[in-house]
Amino acid sequence: MADILALVLKHNSAQTQGLKNFSFTSGTGWNTSPCMIVGERCGIKTSLLFLAAVTAASELGVKVLFLTPTPIQKLPAPLQDSLANLNPDGLKKIKFMYPRSQEELLQDVASLHESACGSAAPPSLLIVDGLERYLGRGRGRARGGAWRQPAGDGWLAVAHISALLVDTAAFLGRKLEERGGAGASCRVLVSFDTERQGHAPGELPAQDPVLSVLDRYFPVRATLDRDRSAAAPGTAGEPGAVWQVYFSGVGVTAGHAPGKGEGPNPGLQWRLAICQNGAMEFSLVSGENQAKQ
Amino acid sequence: MSSYLPAVAEQLLRDIRKVYQETSQIPDDLLLALKFVFGPSALQALDLVDQRSVTCLSSPSGRTAFQVIGGSGRPYTCYTSCHYCPCPAFAFSVLRRNDGLLVTAAHFLSETRGALEPPPFRRAAFGSAATALFLSVRAAERKPVGRLLFSTRKKSSVKPS
Repeated sequence: MADILALVLKHNSAQTQGLKNFSFTSGTGWNTSPCMIVGERCGIKTSLLFLAAVTAASELGVKVLFLTPTPIQKLPAPLQDSLANLNPDGLKKIKFMYPRSQEELLQDVASLHESACGSAAPPSLLIVDGLERYLGRGRGRARGGAWRQPAGDGWLAVAHISALLVDTAAFLGRKLEERGGAGASCRVLVSFDTERQGHAPGELPAQDPVLSVLDRYFPVRATLDRDRSAAAPGTAGEPGAVWQVYFSGVGVTAGHAPGKGEGPNPGLQWRLAICQNGAMEFSLVSGENQAKQ
Repeated sequence: MSSYLPAVAEQLLRDIRKVYQETSQIPDDLLLALKFVFGPSALQALDLVDQRSVTCLSSPSGRTAFQVIGGSGRPYTCYTSCHYCPCPAFAFSVLRRNDGLLVTAAHFLSETRGALEPPPFRRAAFGSAATALFLSVRAAERKPVGRLLFSTRKKSSVKPS
């Protein structure tokens, strides 16, 4: 999945040099690892998922299944300018499903293998927007600020949804390969809301115990942290808002050719700015700037 | 450290598969390594394999899952491509305590599949109710296979081979 996110960043980056062969991960095995976008509650994650869906459909020509509990009535505002540069036929390759509960999500994902029996190709990208909304009540903080542990079967519920998504994607990937797509795979991308805790830039947000379970199944993580400094006065999702995007996880190394003077791990930190026209613009944070922060 | 241990475990299972394919034996040092990495759960998982408590279920679409009859007699459905089991031991030791690995019989067989001949598990084909199997609703895990299947609206069949 990291390969599609890398494609999204490249297509929406103000930089043109040094990103031709950019990838987050070393080796092809990690490029399709399930990926999770984590950050405080806001619409920017939905916009990013939507942009990934459209990019995958229009640039790679693959079918996408977008699962979200809330029906999408219109294009997210930050995407309206970005989409002008993409092939509109790509939208036709995206199928939206709106499971309203954990049971409906499990049912929809568990039955996806049936689609592999027909003549139509199965989806190559599974996206779940707002995974936390399927994890039931009881999540969040108790009085005093400590994270509440999932109760009863809560641990298994988190693992079950994640494992079912990963196992389904693995099966669909094998089916896509059988159809003649050498190297074809089915990727998984999810978003997960967590509370902001006043952490330092670059530090992983929160110690929500659910995240430790999700990390088992989604080894690549993109963490969104809103820049609240004076230089970035916009509110979340509005023009002027700035986000820092950190990539981490197993196999994540970043791989564009770094220039002299850049620090370690260039490419793991990006800046996401909402432009005045509402478009999302990414820019690579150099190793030197990472060291300053 | 926690990110490396699963990779070590997966490599160990791959090594067992490779050695068994070449020699038709699992040498003591690899069994000891299995015990070292996974702890007591390794013996319990191998015991379930020896007792042929594992059934490989396949749907008409070709998707497979393992169903393991646990020590308590309850059936648990495990996925073949990722580490998950709805048993209480997995929930407690792996998910909640997060302080170690747990090898399940299904995990062991999934990683060594194809190497162990004859395969140490039964096979069964599922009819149109396979989705209910992959759904593996946690409450339904406690029901015998037949009840799990017949509790779905679609007609189903189980054909042990």
